[in-house]
Amino acid sequence: MSRSQRIARDVLVSLSAQRSRVVLMMLGLAVGVAVLSAVIVIGQGTRERIIGLVEKHGLDMVMVRAGGEVQVFAPQSDRGLASLLEADARAIEAEVPYIDLVSAVQNLRGINVVYEDRSVITRAFGVEPSWLAIRHRDVAEGEFLSESDMAAMARVAVIGVKVARALFPDGGAVGRTVRVNNDPYTVKGVFIELGTDAAGIDDWDDRIVVPLTTSARRLFNRPYLEQIVFRVTDVRRVPATAERVRDLLAVRHGIGPGQPADFFVREPEDVEGAALEASSTLSALLLAISLVALVAGGLVIMNLMLASVSQRSREIGLRRAMGARASDISRQFLLESLFVALAGGAVGVAVGTGIAAALGAAGVASSRITWMPFAVALAACVAIGLVFGIHPARRAARVDPAAAVRGRAA
Amino acid sequence: MIEVEALTRLYARGTLETQVLKGVTFRVRRGEFVAIMGRSGSGKSTLLNIVGLLDRADSGRYLLDGTDFSGADDDERSAARNRKLGFVFQQFHLLERASALRNVTLPLLYTEEDPGDSVQRAERALHAVGLAHRARHLPSELSGGEQQRVAIARALINDPAVILADEPTGNLDAQSAAEVLEIFRRLVGAGRTLVLVTHDRAVAERADRILLLDDGRIAGEEAVPSPVAGAHLGAAGFV
Repeated sequence: MSRSQRIARDVLVSLSAQRSRVVLMMLGLAVGVAVLSAVIVIGQGTRERIIGLVEKHGLDMVMVRAGGEVQVFAPQSDRGLASLLEADARAIEAEVPYIDLVSAVQNLRGINVVYEDRSVITRAFGVEPSWLAIRHRDVAEGEFLSESDMAAMARVAVIGVKVARALFPDGGAVGRTVRVNNDPYTVKGVFIELGTDAAGIDDWDDRIVVPLTTSARRLFNRPYLEQIVFRVTDVRRVPATAERVRDLLAVRHGIGPGQPADFFVREPEDVEGAALEASSTLSALLLAISLVALVAGGLVIMNLMLASVSQRSREIGLRRAMGARASDISRQFLLESLFVALAGGAVGVAVGTGIAAALGAAGVASSRITWMPFAVALAACVAIGLVFGIHPARRAARVDPAAAVRGRAA
Repeated sequence: MIEVEALTRLYARGTLETQVLKGVTFRVRRGEFVAIMGRSGSGKSTLLNIVGLLDRADSGRYLLDGTDFSGADDDERSAARNRKLGFVFQQFHLLERASALRNVTLPLLYTEEDPGDSVQRAERALHAVGLAHRARHLPSELSGGEQQRVAIARALINDPAVILADEPTGNLDAQSAAEVLEIFRRLVGAGRTLVLVTHDRAVAERADRILLLDDGRIAGEEAVPSPVAGAHLGAAGFV
């Protein structure tokens, strides 16, 4: 064994002969690590639950609709429905931060879709490829619209399950050509089944979706949009981001303060947002507590190690007499701090993840155990052991061996 | 083996300065047993610490086994302590929580090379001081004499050329002190050099030669006419 290995082993043997002292030294740190790992486990569980909610309810999506909020009962032509343009979508994309995906959307009811002797009347949407991710949709068969479909104004469509079943009762919709308002369109994909929305009005399965360019130039043949949808990168920034979009569009549409707008920005229901807010505040608080406990635990280790250096000055002198270099002594004390910190970390992470898992099992909190609390605890304990161990270790190395071996302490 | 020339050492504590050593010169030949005798405060412990490379002289020259350590750094001095010197203290200085065996292996932590089977070497050293049966005992379970013999085994484990003993019998009863001195005689008989510091003339007279230290100077030197018989006894078995 090398000299450092021998010293490390000696430290472990010494520590194992004084377990109560080790327990005392590591207690504060163990508490800190326990809280920290519980916060991580619960934080990850909560995060996972919220991602699930976001996925399910589209909490990160904001929709801009043409037409002002107060004019719902006005005649259609007066409601400003021709006010929203693709340039607005590009402006939002370019100028508002925390938005990663934008899609302009057109739609029209009463579209006739025919395959051989079957036909349905459905609602058609013209969208951009990013729409799929923004709306958390997916295709069950085939694929979604692409940028080249957009560029080519391609006559392609992705169809809802009900449309697919009505036209192709035996399946095999993808690749077939249907007639949409009498023009031939190739079926590119079929959406997964979604069911009706919460209110039971919109039937997402009774839809066909075509490229925005195709709808604007061919199918609907008009430039204005019904909607712009976009995705916000951080759910907590949804309200602020929606506000910026409102301001931007008001300026673009020349709407002064107090005047009714010709658009409406609809944010997702913020019930879950409030829950997220609350849980992130709580976990920030717990995180702060655990950091304080970690530092306090480090200080406990440092102070007990400093006390130990003065109590053990004769031992230090003896070891020096036996041939220990100053660097061997500092290594010994640094390893002692490190091992104590690691022991505290091991106890803490076990207790913390255990408590968090129990809370999860009891349904009090969401918990998910990954490698993360273990990695964080290991890193924290190594850092704390070294940072708070270095001062006692240096002091130990400076003990004057001649004076220490002469010490006549009982 | 040991050459000391005009060593001085000044201790400053606050504004109070004490000239502990005022120019000490002596030599110890290889295989010689020398006692340095003096009253407390005569500077004998300081001298032993300098000879033991635990302390540095302010001026003068010190050669151990032909090497001048005046300008050596901590690592070189530590390596020499480990390889060439064995220490025996009045207070034994055993680690309280460690068994006799583990105490004896302590110097092997700090060797340059892999020490090999530490346990076996420690058992041999304990056997040499007659304590093989006490290897697993803690110091608190041993008598004073046994503790000092453990300390001697520890001093021997690295096979040093020189043993330095600071009042090794100061805390022992007469019987144990006699045993320890007997072991020392056997070590010298086996070719080791031994320097012992004491204030006790009866102890000093077990040496081959006595250096009298008084007020930081060598005040005199006595050869002990007939070292007590028994020097040749039981020398075998020591590494």
